[in-house]
Amino acid sequence: MGNKHVNAIVVGAGAGGGIVAKELSVAGLSVVLFERGGWATYDDTDTDELKSQRTTVLGNAYGPDDLRYKRVVVNTDGSTYIVLPSDGGYNNNAACVGSGTVSYGAMAWRFMQEDFKLKTTYGPIEGSTLDDWPFTYEDLEPSYEKAEWEIGVAGDSTRNPFAAPRKKPYPMPPFSHNREAKLLYDAAKRLGYHPFPIPMLRNSVPYGDRPACIRMRTCCGYACPVNAKCGTQNTVIPIAIESGNCELRINSVVSEILVNEQGKITGVTYFDEKNRKQTQTADIVVISASATETARLLLNSKSKFFPKGIGNENDWVGRNLQGHAYTGAYGIFKDEVYDDLGPGASVAISDFNHHNPGIMGGGVLCNEFIRMPYAFTGIRPPGAARWGKEHKSFQRLNYKRVAQAVGPYQEIPNFESRVEVDPAIKDFWGIPVVRLSGTRHEKDIEGCKLMSEKAELWLKEAGAIQTWQSIGGRGLSGGQHQAGTCRMGNDPKTSVTDKYGRIHSVSNLFVADGSLNVNNGGFNPALTIMALGYRVGGYIASEWSKGNRFK
Amino acid sequence: MKKNIKITLLIIPIILIISIIAFGSFYTYWNNTTPDKTCASCHEIGKSVNSQAQSSHRNLHCKECHGTALSNGFHSIKEKGMMVVNHIKNKQVENIKLSEEQLLEVLNNCNRCHSSEFAKWTSGGHSLDYQHVFLNTKHNSTEQINYDCLRCHGMFFEGNVGDVVEPLNIKGPWKLKEEKMATVPAIPCMACHLIHQDGSPQVRPDYSNPKTIFYQKKGPISKLGFYDRHEKVYYPITQLPQLNLWEGDRKVKVSDDQLMRNCVQCHAPNSRHQSGTSDDRTPRGVHEGLSCMACHEPHSNNARNSCISCHPAISNCKLDVTKMNTSYSDAKSGNNIHFVACADCHNGSRPEGRGNRSRIVSIIRN
Amino acid sequence: MANYCRKRLLQINKTRSQTTDKLTIKSILLMNQQAKLTRRRFITLSVLGAGGMLLLSRCANPPLSQWRILTEQESNLLDALAEQIIPADEWPGGRDAGVTNFIDQQLAGPYVRFQDTYRKGILAIQETCKAKFQKRFEELPWEEQTRFLESMEAGKMEGENWGKGFDRQFFRLIRDHSMQGFYGSPRHGGNKNNVSYRMMKLDYPVIIGQNRYNS
Repeated sequence: MGNKHVNAIVVGAGAGGGIVAKELSVAGLSVVLFERGGWATYDDTDTDELKSQRTTVLGNAYGPDDLRYKRVVVNTDGSTYIVLPSDGGYNNNAACVGSGTVSYGAMAWRFMQEDFKLKTTYGPIEGSTLDDWPFTYEDLEPSYEKAEWEIGVAGDSTRNPFAAPRKKPYPMPPFSHNREAKLLYDAAKRLGYHPFPIPMLRNSVPYGDRPACIRMRTCCGYACPVNAKCGTQNTVIPIAIESGNCELRINSVVSEILVNEQGKITGVTYFDEKNRKQTQTADIVVISASATETARLLLNSKSKFFPKGIGNENDWVGRNLQGHAYTGAYGIFKDEVYDDLGPGASVAISDFNHHNPGIMGGGVLCNEFIRMPYAFTGIRPPGAARWGKEHKSFQRLNYKRVAQAVGPYQEIPNFESRVEVDPAIKDFWGIPVVRLSGTRHEKDIEGCKLMSEKAELWLKEAGAIQTWQSIGGRGLSGGQHQAGTCRMGNDPKTSVTDKYGRIHSVSNLFVADGSLNVNNGGFNPALTIMALGYRVGGYIASEWSKGNRFK
Repeated sequence: MKKNIKITLLIIPIILIISIIAFGSFYTYWNNTTPDKTCASCHEIGKSVNSQAQSSHRNLHCKECHGTALSNGFHSIKEKGMMVVNHIKNKQVENIKLSEEQLLEVLNNCNRCHSSEFAKWTSGGHSLDYQHVFLNTKHNSTEQINYDCLRCHGMFFEGNVGDVVEPLNIKGPWKLKEEKMATVPAIPCMACHLIHQDGSPQVRPDYSNPKTIFYQKKGPISKLGFYDRHEKVYYPITQLPQLNLWEGDRKVKVSDDQLMRNCVQCHAPNSRHQSGTSDDRTPRGVHEGLSCMACHEPHSNNARNSCISCHPAISNCKLDVTKMNTSYSDAKSGNNIHFVACADCHNGSRPEGRGNRSRIVSIIRN
Repeated sequence: MANYCRKRLLQINKTRSQTTDKLTIKSILLMNQQAKLTRRRFITLSVLGAGGMLLLSRCANPPLSQWRILTEQESNLLDALAEQIIPADEWPGGRDAGVTNFIDQQLAGPYVRFQDTYRKGILAIQETCKAKFQKRFEELPWEEQTRFLESMEAGKMEGENWGKGFDRQFFRLIRDHSMQGFYGSPRHGGNKNNVSYRMMKLDYPVIIGQNRYNS
C-alpha cells in the first residue's frame, strides 16, 4: 500500500527539522517528519565515555552506526580514504530523534549583528566567498526569541555588553559557576574583560514540565538522565506529534528528492525500517539533514531538470563547508579546580568576537566541558610523556588541576571546502556517500593564534602555574558545527537558497538547517539553526494560511 | 489397516515410556550431580559457579536458589532451553546476568533461610513495589518520571523507564505498561547483597576460650555493594566512593562506616554535595559523624527505639531525648533528627548548667 | 584455584547424593503435575530436554580459552605492552586493570577491523625481539622493553615487518587502546574495579541525589 499524500515532508528530526515540523503541523499542514535514526534514551549508553557523542572510539552513542554508513575524505594530495562514523574525520552529528540536540553541550548563542554582515564589516577577503546574509540580525531576532522560549534557555541577558540587542530576557535564570569558572570569572574581571554565564539550552529551574539540571559531569556528548537538557526531541517534536498532523517516521533513510516533468518537487523516496524502498509525495519538501547530508541529498537527486543535482546549476551546493576552528589554551593550577559540578563549561567572554585587530570575526572564549578520564590522557603540555609512569602520575596528579579556555573561532568561508557525492562508494542502501574535501582558509590560523594567546593570558591571570596553547584552524572543516553548504542569498548565481531557505530554482523545496548559514558566527550554532527553523517554518506556515501552495 | 493402527497404538506408549524413563533419569542425574558436570559445563556460567563455590553460600546447590528446569513451569524450561540454544549456537554472551524475573525467583528462595531478614525487609521502606514508586501521583505530578529513576528503584529492570510506566509527563494519569509489574519489588535483596561474593558460611566459634569469640569475628562486611544497572556490576562497598559532604564551605564529618557508602548511593545530596539537599540524610549537627547503621536497622530501616542505645533514658540535660522537639517524636517538627544542632533549640547559647561537669558526673552515677 | 573449587563441589555432591538418590520417576511426575504441565507439553519437553542433554555432553571438553580472539601467547605480549603503557605504581597497572581483556573484547566487537593490524603488529614485535635478543618481548627486562617501545614510538624500527610508518602507527594503536582499557568504562572489560576512577578520585558511581521537592 502506498503512502498517503501529505502537505509537507520534513527530512531530518534535528534542531532545524524538528522545529519546522512543529511550525507546520501546528499551522494545520499534514506533515511527515523523516528521521534516519530512532528515539534515543539515556539508557542506551548512559555515561559510557568510550561510546558517547564526544568520544566515539567504540562507536557513536546516538548514531549513525559504523556498519551502514561511511564517507570519503580527500587528502590535500588528492588521494582518498574511507572514514566510518566513529572516526573523527567523518564530521558526525547524530542519527536519532532530536539529533545533536539530544547530546549537545547545549550552549544557546545568538549570533551578533556583525555576523550577519561580515563582508560589510571586514570587506572582501582574498580567496574567500565572504558575503553578507540576505537579512539582518533584527530580521532573525523574533525567531531567536521563539527558540529561547519554546525550547528553553537559561542565562542572564544583561551581563554580556557585546550581545546583540534583544526584546525579551531568557526564560530561565543562569546557572551558577563551578570552581574553575569562578576563578576564570574573577580573572576576566581583573583583566577588564566582561565575563558572564553561558546561556544554555538546559533547565536551570523546572521548565516545560521537565525537571532542573542535576549537573552531571557527563553532559556534553551524552543524553540527560533526567531530561533537563532541552532538545527538539523533548520540546517541539512531541508538540508536533500531539497536534495530530505530524507523523514521525523513524529509521527511515531518505535517498532522493523526486522531480516531475514540470521540474516541480513531488516528494521523496526513502528506505523504511525494513530497508524497503518507498515513496512519499507532498506539496512541499523541507530538507534539514545537516550541512553535509542536506547537500548530499540535493546532489544525489539528479533528473532531466537538474542533471547536476537540485539547486546546483551554478555548482554552489556543497560549497563553503564551514565548522569552527576550536582554539584556546590549557592551564595547570596549584590547587584542584575541578569540583565535579557538571557540565563544566559555564563562564564566557565575548570580548574577542569582532573588532579585535588581527582577528576577523573571532570567537567566544569559554571554560571547557568536563574532560572525562580517557579524553584527558591526550591532554599534556608539549614535551610531556604520552605514556608510561610519568603519564600515569600526570593523570593522577593533574586531572583535577587542569582548566581549559577555548572557543569556536569563526572560519572564513572557503569555496573549495566542500561536500560532494563520491562517484563510486555507496552506503548500505546503495546511496552514493559524502565526499569531503578542501581545507580551512589559510587566514584562520592567524586569528586562532591570537585567540589562543588571549586564552593563555586569561588562564595565567586565573592562577595557572603552567600553560600551553592548543591552536586550531588547520585542515578539513566541518565537524559537529558543520554549516554553509546551501548558502542563502539574493543572487541565485552566488547562493543556493533565497532568504527564506527556498531553493532558488524550485518553488516548493526548502532547506532549514545550518547549510543556510552564510558564515558560522564565533559561537556554537545550535540556537541559530533553531531560529532558522522558526524562520523557514514560520514563513511556509504563514504563506500557506494565505493560500499560497508553492506551485 | 487395523493392524497398523494397533501397532501404532502399541508403539506410541512404548516410545512414551522410554522417553519418560530416559528423560526422568537424565533429569534426576542432572539435578543431583555436581555443578561442574552440569551447570558449569556451560562455560558461560562457569564464572558464577566458581564464585559461588567461594562464597558464604557455598554449601547450597545451584538449584536451591535458582530452581530447576521444571521448578517454575514452562517458563523455566524455556529459559533454560534458550541457554542451551545460545550455547550451541555459540552466541557470545559477555558477563551473563540473571533477568529480573529470574532474580525475583531467587529472591523468594532467600526467604527460605533468611526469613527473619525477609520479614524485616517486608516491614520497612525498601520493600516497596513498582506500583508504589511509579504510580505515586504526588511525585509524578511534581516531577517528570525520568530514566534515572531506575538507578535506585527497579535497578534490575531490563529496558528503560518508558517500558515501565507511561506517560512520561507530569500530567498523567499514569499506568504501568504491564499490570503484572505492579507487585514487583523495586528494591530486592540483590540491590545491596552480593550473593556470590567471597565469604565463609557462618560457623560455630571456637568455644575453648569464650573470650576469643569476639576476635574470631571479621569485618567489615564486603558482601554488600551497590548494583549499578548501567555497568551491570556490583560495586562492593569497599570500592564505593566515600561521600564528601559540605555545609556551606564547611566539610561535614561523615562516618567511616563502609556500609554507609551503599546508603548514600541513593540517599544522595545534590551535585554540590551540600548537606541536607536532595535525598541526603547524612547526620549533621548533634549526630554528625554517625553512620546510618547507628540508628537504622539495616533490613527494616527501623530507627524506633534507637535513641536508647546511646542516650540514657534521661539525657544529660535531664530531658527525655525521645520527647524533644525533633522529627523523631513529631513528623511536623522543624528539627530534622538527621540535622538538628544544639543551636536549633538553644538560640546559639549554651543551655543552663551545661558544662557543669560535677552535675553530669552525678547523673551518670545515679 | 580451579582445583579447589572442584574439590569443594565434590564434597558438596557427596553430602547431597544421600538424600536425593531417592527421587523417583513418580516423584518427578508428581512435580510435573504441580507445575501444571499438560501431557503433550510434557512429552515435547521430555524429548527436547533429553535431546538437549545429549547435545550438552559435547561440552565435556577441556575449559575454553578465556580469550575471544587472542591466543595465550598474544595475550602475554599485550599484558606486557599494557603494563609498559600504564605501569603499576601505588595503583595497579594496565595488566591488572584488564587492558588485554578490553582489547580482546573489542577485537571481537567494534575493533574487528583492527584484528589484522594486531596480528601483523604482534608478529613484527616478536620477530624483531627474536632476531635481536633471541627472546620474546615479554621476557625482556623492563628497561629493554621501554627502549623498544620508545623506538617504535619514534618510528625507528627497521626491517621488512615494519613497513612504511607501521611502527609508529601500531604503537599509537596499542597506546590508545591501552588507555581506553584503563581509563574507559569498566563495562568494556578493562578498568577493573574502577581502578582508574578511584586513582583519579572521581566518584563512580556518581553520587547525585534525584529528589528535588519536599515530600
